[in-house]
Amino acid sequence: MLRWVLGGGVLLPVLSIVALLIFAAPTGRGMLPLPLATTDPERIEVIGHQWWWEVRYPGEEGEPDVVTANRLVMPAGEPVDFRVTSEDVIHAFWIPRLGGKRDMVPGRFSTIRLEADAPGVFGGQCAEFCGAQHTGMQLHVEALERDDYDAWLDERRAPRESIEKGDAARAFGEHCAACHRVAGFPDELVVDDTEHDIKGPDLSDIGSRPTLGAGVLPMEEGAIAYWLQFHQMLKPGNRMPPHNHIETETLQDIGAWLETLAP
Amino acid sequence: MSDTKDASLTPDTRQLHEGLARVWANPRGLGALTVVNHTTLGLRFMATGAVFFLIGGLLAMLIRTQLAFPDNNFMSNETYNQVFTMHGTVMMFLFAIPILEGLAIYMIPKMIGARDLVCPRLTAFGYFCYLFGGIILTASLFLDMAPSSGWFMYTPLSSGEYSPGSGSDFWLLGITFVEISALSAGVELVVSILRTRTEGMALHKMPLFAWYILAMALMIVVGFPPLILGSILLELERATGMPFFDPAGGGDPVLWAHLFWLFGHPEVYIIFLPGAGIVATLIPVFARRPIVGYGWVVAAIVIMGFVSFGLWVHHMFTLGIPQLATAFFSAASMLVAIPTGIQLFVWLSTLWLGRPIMSLPMLWILGFLVIFVLGGLTGVMLALVPFNWQVHDTHFVVAHMHYVLVGGMLFPLLAGLYYWLPQVSGRMPSERLGKWSFWLIFLGFNLTFLIMHWTGLLGMRRRVFTYDTAMGWDIYNLISSIGGFMMAGGVALLIIDVALHFRFGKPAPQNPWNADGLEWAMPKPPTPYNFVSLPRLETRNPLWDVPELPRTLLEGRHGLATIDHGRRETWGSDPLTGKLREVVHLPTNSWWPLLAALSLAVVCISLLVRLYPLAAVATLIAVGFLLRWSWENGAHPKAAPDATVAPGQPPLHSRTMNGPGVWTMSVSHLANGSLYLSLLFGWFYLWTVAPEWRMPETSPLSMPLLVAAGLALTLGVLLLAKLVRRLRRRHDAGLRAGMNVAAALGALQSTLLIGVVWLAELAPTESAHDATLLVALLYVLIHALLGALLCLLQGLRVGYGFVSAEVPLEPVVVLRLWYYNLVVYWSLFVAIWVIPTVLGGAP
Repeated sequence: MLRWVLGGGVLLPVLSIVALLIFAAPTGRGMLPLPLATTDPERIEVIGHQWWWEVRYPGEEGEPDVVTANRLVMPAGEPVDFRVTSEDVIHAFWIPRLGGKRDMVPGRFSTIRLEADAPGVFGGQCAEFCGAQHTGMQLHVEALERDDYDAWLDERRAPRESIEKGDAARAFGEHCAACHRVAGFPDELVVDDTEHDIKGPDLSDIGSRPTLGAGVLPMEEGAIAYWLQFHQMLKPGNRMPPHNHIETETLQDIGAWLETLAP
Repeated sequence: MSDTKDASLTPDTRQLHEGLARVWANPRGLGALTVVNHTTLGLRFMATGAVFFLIGGLLAMLIRTQLAFPDNNFMSNETYNQVFTMHGTVMMFLFAIPILEGLAIYMIPKMIGARDLVCPRLTAFGYFCYLFGGIILTASLFLDMAPSSGWFMYTPLSSGEYSPGSGSDFWLLGITFVEISALSAGVELVVSILRTRTEGMALHKMPLFAWYILAMALMIVVGFPPLILGSILLELERATGMPFFDPAGGGDPVLWAHLFWLFGHPEVYIIFLPGAGIVATLIPVFARRPIVGYGWVVAAIVIMGFVSFGLWVHHMFTLGIPQLATAFFSAASMLVAIPTGIQLFVWLSTLWLGRPIMSLPMLWILGFLVIFVLGGLTGVMLALVPFNWQVHDTHFVVAHMHYVLVGGMLFPLLAGLYYWLPQVSGRMPSERLGKWSFWLIFLGFNLTFLIMHWTGLLGMRRRVFTYDTAMGWDIYNLISSIGGFMMAGGVALLIIDVALHFRFGKPAPQNPWNADGLEWAMPKPPTPYNFVSLPRLETRNPLWDVPELPRTLLEGRHGLATIDHGRRETWGSDPLTGKLREVVHLPTNSWWPLLAALSLAVVCISLLVRLYPLAAVATLIAVGFLLRWSWENGAHPKAAPDATVAPGQPPLHSRTMNGPGVWTMSVSHLANGSLYLSLLFGWFYLWTVAPEWRMPETSPLSMPLLVAAGLALTLGVLLLAKLVRRLRRRHDAGLRAGMNVAAALGALQSTLLIGVVWLAELAPTESAHDATLLVALLYVLIHALLGALLCLLQGLRVGYGFVSAEVPLEPVVVLRLWYYNLVVYWSLFVAIWVIPTVLGGAP
């Protein structure tokens, strides 16, 4: 009897645990953001918002960051450190195909190191329940060859040519610019009479993004205008107020203008 | 068999039966609300728990309906979030824990040879707190105001800014209300098991079920207070803006996660241990031999109890916990496999060495073994950090926890239901319906959750209200939903079976399973007093070793077989040896528990609707009822004015200095101390971890006033200790005056503390530092006031003659509170004044 209890109850679990730990300890260590022997890994900041992703590529020595949203472009074939945090509630940064997840906690940064072996497109998603649209918080991830990645980033680092102050831009300034930033947008067009301080996604390169509403809608011609009219049906509960008070034509103008925003 | 009509009894015995029936009678009609008997209340607990199980199950069916097809519009995202939050909350807090408490409340006195639990009025109070809290919480569903932040309510999602409605308040207030019931059950189960076992039942002769419940009860006592503290802090943050969990004000959202899982992980074992206790009770009966390795099981229970408090961080591996801590908690989590493995192999060896017979309860036990082992294996997988990082917050985890909880709790519970049903009703359930229901539930469960591991590995997150067909998860979700409905069908069949058996079941023989436990030695259905006489027992398997016991118990041939005094009595015994120490006289039916619980319900509702003045008034009324309840103790006419006992019997417990009341106070302070330590943990955690925590350069608290308040408290303790020493020598001269002086010292301490708060000019809504200080000071202030109030009442009770040299128990109990206050006060002084002053403020 004692043989059974000791063998099954003590020896069996101890041996299994030791075997598992021998296997797991090096794996776990490889996922830690330890200093690398050769170069510093590429660093990308990802900030969770209800219910979208802000992605920042830090600028060097006083340069401004490159900011985009809901789309993450990363170099393939090398480790990348993601510094993650949150602007509001706890989210979790997770690209299932690339490995583990990390919670995004307001007030603190934490780092997770991931590597895409080869170029490709992956899905990312928020893994920690974060409220009404937790489901609709998707991230489009593209891993590019190093050269393509550098080119992609350089395009966005280049200062934008001045934005034409047409009717669409004026309407954008009146209805949208209080929450949404567009790089190079003239300050004098911004009308800020909102009472809340919710930040919306940076729209500087929205025309080049593959999806809208953090993965809710594929980007195609007219998609932005459609989103602007029906976003509370497409993604119920999202933080952008409904636009019922704005003429449909105006929304279409704004949508068409936004589609042109690409580097 | 109905005992009073048994023709073979002598007239004397029949008179004894009638007397017991009169003294222990449960009133009918409106008076049923005053019942304090453990059998009745245990059944009420279990019936209420079963209703909440059906509500939780209905919510689960809504979830599976929504997820059955991709892009389903059955529910909106907001509704879905309420539904899954309430499913988890109802199942964990309103079903699993209360129904197991109910089982323990019903079963423990019967198994240890007692007539009732040691604090019957507390049982009733706990039941009403559970009922009212549960009703308040589920009402939110019908008001469409249910909490929607998930059952672990992570901040800041659950805080005022991101959950502005009343949903979170329903959760925090309702759950805290229900937890009062868990704590009261925990305290009285610990004391009952340790202090009221029948004569000769030494600790190592106690049924294994009692060991499991003892561990569960102690874990409730230590494990629930962190969540109670967390809920109080979060509700304060929501109501007044104190920034405990807000990083901008010097708080930290991860503090909530720590406090929640400090409770949440032990909770898993609080649910599993009674389940394992049922397994350990049933397996020897159906293997027809005593359990092998009793000592091993006890050791495993104790190890499990301790280790389970060191695992909470494994729910937080992805929160960015320091690496060393992650490694430690990962290894510790896997170590739980050892005590679990020991128990498993003890059960298997018992079956191997016995002559097992198949039966309906045994079928459920076999189902438990399969499901629980699978859940345990995925548990070890989840303890591996790299694997955890991948599957955390996916359907893999959902599958794992259902395997552990349904396997470890529901299956044993249903085994126990079929096993004990004849004991409760005197009738046998239907074998055929029971088998159908087992196979539907067993297969339905595995269909739902086995495949869900795979859905999780494919990347499906938990808590999503729908998914895209392009993900390729359609068929797996559909299979899970079909399995879920199959399981629901099995539950429906089970209800029908149980309902029918009350009417059509065959009458059960005295011991239908040929079991060894004392609970089969009483009339069926049980009489409120359980046993006509209380046996002297020195065996672990009473009915196997003393088969004539049911008969001799009924004939009143054992202990405490007198009733002409009109008191409800049971034995008080030595916690280790089971030697008799005193006769415990138990209170009878009372309105005070209901009234106290009702006024607390008013507090709860008025906090919900933010009528704070009403809440304050209702709190005072509740305190009034509770104190009025405590008035009926000692030599009070409703307690035991006459201390005469039969020749040769030990004294009444209120006439001793170490009655169960002293133990109840000590175990309550274990819970209170756990709350206090959680508060200290919060203080030091925020101080060291929260990025925006601001420690002022000099403490805002007035040192002279703090020390003066502490000296008043210390003097009070010295005085009370002296009074108790004199009582021990049977001197009660000056007792009343002494109590009044102690009350005055408590009042002085309270006044000085109010001065400290006043002079500190704290800004609790602006900084977490000030908010934490305020809560800590209020905590000691409440204790100081309580100490003063109890001394004042003791003074009065001396005047009435309820407390004296002959009835000396209560001052000992009150002194325990003052000792606790003393330790808490000075340690808090060190934590909030000395250490910050020595280390200096933050730069």
